Amino acid sequence: MHTFVEFTIFGLILGGVYGIAASGLVLTYNTSGIFNFAHGAEAMLGAFLYWQVRFGWHWPAPLALLFVLGVFGPLMGGVLYLLIMRGLRDTAEVTKIVVSVALMLGMLYLSVWIWNPSTPRTDEKFFGSRSGVHLFGTIVTTHEMIALAAAVVIAVGLRMLFYRTRAGVAMRGAVDDPNLLQLNGHNPERLAAFSWALGAFLAVLAGVLITPISGGAVEANALTLLVIDAFAAAMFGRLRSVPRTFVGAVVLGLANNYVAAYFPKTWSWASNFRISLPMITLFLVLIVLPQDRLRGASIQRSRERSRVPSVRTAAIAGVALVTVVILLRQLMVDSDITALTIGLTFAVIALSLTLLTGYAGEMNLAAVSFGAIGTLIVFHLGVHGHGLAARTTIGGILLGVLVTAVVGAIVALPALRLRGLYLALATMAFAVFMTAMVLHDGQPHKLPLLHSSFSFFPLGTMIIPAPKVGPIDLQDGTTFLMTATVVFALIGTGLIALRNSSFGRRLTAMKDSPAASATLGQNLIKLKLSVFMLSAAIAGLGGILMSAAFTSVTPDHFSVFVSLALLMLVVVSGITYVTGALLGGLLAGVGFSLIVATFNALSLEHASLHGLFAMLAHLAAVAPALIGIGLGRSPSGSVHDIVESYRHMRDAKGVLLGGAITEAAVYLLTLGGIVTNWWFAILTVVVILLLPVVGQMVKPEAFLGEAEVARRRAEVPLALVGIDTPYTRQMRDEIDRALGMEITPELAASILESTDAPA
Amino acid sequence: MSSTISPAGSAAPVAPDEPLLELVGVRAGYGAIEVLHGVDLRVPPGALVALLGPNGGGKTTTLKLCAGLVPVTDGEFRLAGRVVNGVTANQLARLGVCSVPEGRGIFPNLTVRENLWLATGTGKRMESIEAAAYRRFPILGERRRQLAGTLSGGEQQMLSLARALGTDPTLLLLDELSLGLAPIVVAQMYETVRQLAAEGLSILVAEQFARTVLPIAQLAAIMLHGRIVRVGTPSEIEEDLSTTYLGG
Repeated sequence: MHTFVEFTIFGLILGGVYGIAASGLVLTYNTSGIFNFAHGAEAMLGAFLYWQVRFGWHWPAPLALLFVLGVFGPLMGGVLYLLIMRGLRDTAEVTKIVVSVALMLGMLYLSVWIWNPSTPRTDEKFFGSRSGVHLFGTIVTTHEMIALAAAVVIAVGLRMLFYRTRAGVAMRGAVDDPNLLQLNGHNPERLAAFSWALGAFLAVLAGVLITPISGGAVEANALTLLVIDAFAAAMFGRLRSVPRTFVGAVVLGLANNYVAAYFPKTWSWASNFRISLPMITLFLVLIVLPQDRLRGASIQRSRERSRVPSVRTAAIAGVALVTVVILLRQLMVDSDITALTIGLTFAVIALSLTLLTGYAGEMNLAAVSFGAIGTLIVFHLGVHGHGLAARTTIGGILLGVLVTAVVGAIVALPALRLRGLYLALATMAFAVFMTAMVLHDGQPHKLPLLHSSFSFFPLGTMIIPAPKVGPIDLQDGTTFLMTATVVFALIGTGLIALRNSSFGRRLTAMKDSPAASATLGQNLIKLKLSVFMLSAAIAGLGGILMSAAFTSVTPDHFSVFVSLALLMLVVVSGITYVTGALLGGLLAGVGFSLIVATFNALSLEHASLHGLFAMLAHLAAVAPALIGIGLGRSPSGSVHDIVESYRHMRDAKGVLLGGAITEAAVYLLTLGGIVTNWWFAILTVVVILLLPVVGQMVKPEAFLGEAEVARRRAEVPLALVGIDTPYTRQMRDEIDRALGMEITPELAASILESTDAPA
Repeated sequence: MSSTISPAGSAAPVAPDEPLLELVGVRAGYGAIEVLHGVDLRVPPGALVALLGPNGGGKTTTLKLCAGLVPVTDGEFRLAGRVVNGVTANQLARLGVCSVPEGRGIFPNLTVRENLWLATGTGKRMESIEAAAYRRFPILGERRRQLAGTLSGGEQQMLSLARALGTDPTLLLLDELSLGLAPIVVAQMYETVRQLAAEGLSILVAEQFARTVLPIAQLAAIMLHGRIVRVGTPSEIEEDLSTTYLGG
């Protein structure tokens, strides 16, 4: 009985803090339609800043709280909305998700930059951990009572705001129709900015409250994930109802504590289970709760655009890719080869996203987790030989791919009726569950019937030897690199062939309007299941190759943050393009880590410039997140923009030839050792990006069309009006209006007389 | 977009024949697609002007432009003689331009009363809005606590018109009141509109079914392919209608 009361009280307190965090999420989602994945990261930043001012600079607690909760939180929310989230109107769900995911990653990198994670930091409870009252034989600290009271105040306060104030009612109205809100004389922008400020305040409050309760360690990833647990609570209220959100939060908090209290200590997986409990709840709640009906009547216009290349173009591009990699191979040392191989294996995983998200419009935040499943199968069943002679067999790889496809189907089956954000959350729950329950399962279990012990991830490291298929032994770096390239080119071409087939057209139809394609007699369930299985299989293959390229992998290689970063980079590059998958995969796999490593190496070599180079390395780490945040401006991805700019180059063959010659010259210079590889990379990027600009300058007709060029030539700049062309009455009126001058008829007549009179 | 409302200091009294709303050579559209290719339209004070024409002619875009939801790319948008290019929709709403958009101009997830509450964003008092709404449409009074999305189509349209009644606007913009409603409800709606016009309110109505609105209009304009092709009294336009393809 004593245990029960104690754990119930602590469950309520934890639930209260979950509720504070979740209600902030509900608030911002309702007023701006954006599910804020960065909510946890906001809480984390708040907790760090509170630690800094309270314990780092020893400010008194009230001042520190006022600064963090009263100034920093609302300011952060408002600025985020005005600078970033406002630009996301009329974009697809995937863009909204990716931008807030990018924001989350950016905040994580930022916190690592400012607060070096190797220094331990601890938050203390308000009034210390001694002060408190005895309640049913347990001590409830003042801090915990404050947390509970804050939760109650916020639950009641938000309910009042939403139903008893006009601003709150307007916030609820903004979900239905922001335009109509304007017609009623309200300013939806101001309302949304206010709600983001309030949401960030709630996140920061939750972060400051929860840190001491959950042990006091101020640690970036853990804190971010802790608030992500609140997603499950928000889902109880279907992201709409604040009271139900609080109920969900309390259920979560209680369940969490009861698992800790009553699960037998001999169950080695109990603590992992407790950690993944919110995500399991999230998954279940998503499946059980009724969802929004299919929207078929309104075809949503979004700003994303894409072009589908022909299979012939794709095959030529595939051959070109292999050729380019062969040429690049000549420039590289061994470590670069491994890095490029890893990048290409990431690109293979990224292809699974091109198929699933780009073509079929289904979200998946767990791409790398599927790769982990393939890797696990290969590790347990697909390795032949021992020690240095160990090789991954082709049979093992096939089995791994097959099992991943089946797991993909099992995950997708309950999620089939979910779409968009709900599906994204379900896959994210799966990713976190995989990491917490399966990949952190390092202790051996006694299997009850087989009299042997087993663990998924023994000792937290897995060695995956290089695959060997017949005469092709991937132990050799160059062979591995070329194999990975060919695998990518083959799957990429296959995907484009698929996109051009009737299956691909059906996928796109489903993406555009599920209702319409259902009325045309499509079996959506079969379609979704098949595309999920295919995508999971590709991710499994990519994961196996990636693990083999790394040789030894840890659970961190498969964490949900890796999946999120990969998705973000692929979307930024262009999710509907195979080239986008290549670029995104390379960036995720090698790009940024290589740049960071280079700057770090430089800062070690040049001690005098240490500070500068270290800062550049940090900047490079934050860069991918910044790119993701910029997605709102160009939601189709950078590959699309480049493709569009090159589309007109067909009529400017001379410029293309010039570019090719320049690039060949740069390559030869690098091969001859005259310029370094870095210069080669930089010059190549410059040539690719500048070629359309040069083309536009040299041959504007190819880009704008004859008529537009002629029109632009005829246009006279304002400064030359009256000198090159006559000063007309119309021009005078325009200038008057621009200056805000009202001209009376008499005045106008006198002016006209004077100007019309011969000079 | 270059100029906004003229400075208040300039004393330019509105002449009696000055139209309340005037579009001069207005071009507008969505992104790269231009929908209105130079529209000229005048709504005199106290008049009910019908904007007729087939689907895709640009009627809805014209009304959205007048409500401030679509920006003017070229030409002049004047209210009471002042050029107001670049004005936002919420500023217009406070200036007394009430717009009832196509479909249902209501918030389906708010109650009837909350819908009316939001109409106070125009600066009017809640009591007067509620009183006016319930007097004209008693059924709304009975359902004030019901979610607007659960009302029947006709009641939803009553609710959106109730906003126009309660906020006492200077100019009322109505877009396709008849959309998806039973003929008897349409007749009831336009009876309300006629009464509002008789009380002196200036109204611009876009309507695909010309014969529902022509009997109560003082002026009518036909819109085709983003241009006003003909303006005249309802009887003049009526003759045209029978020779063109417009449905009745």
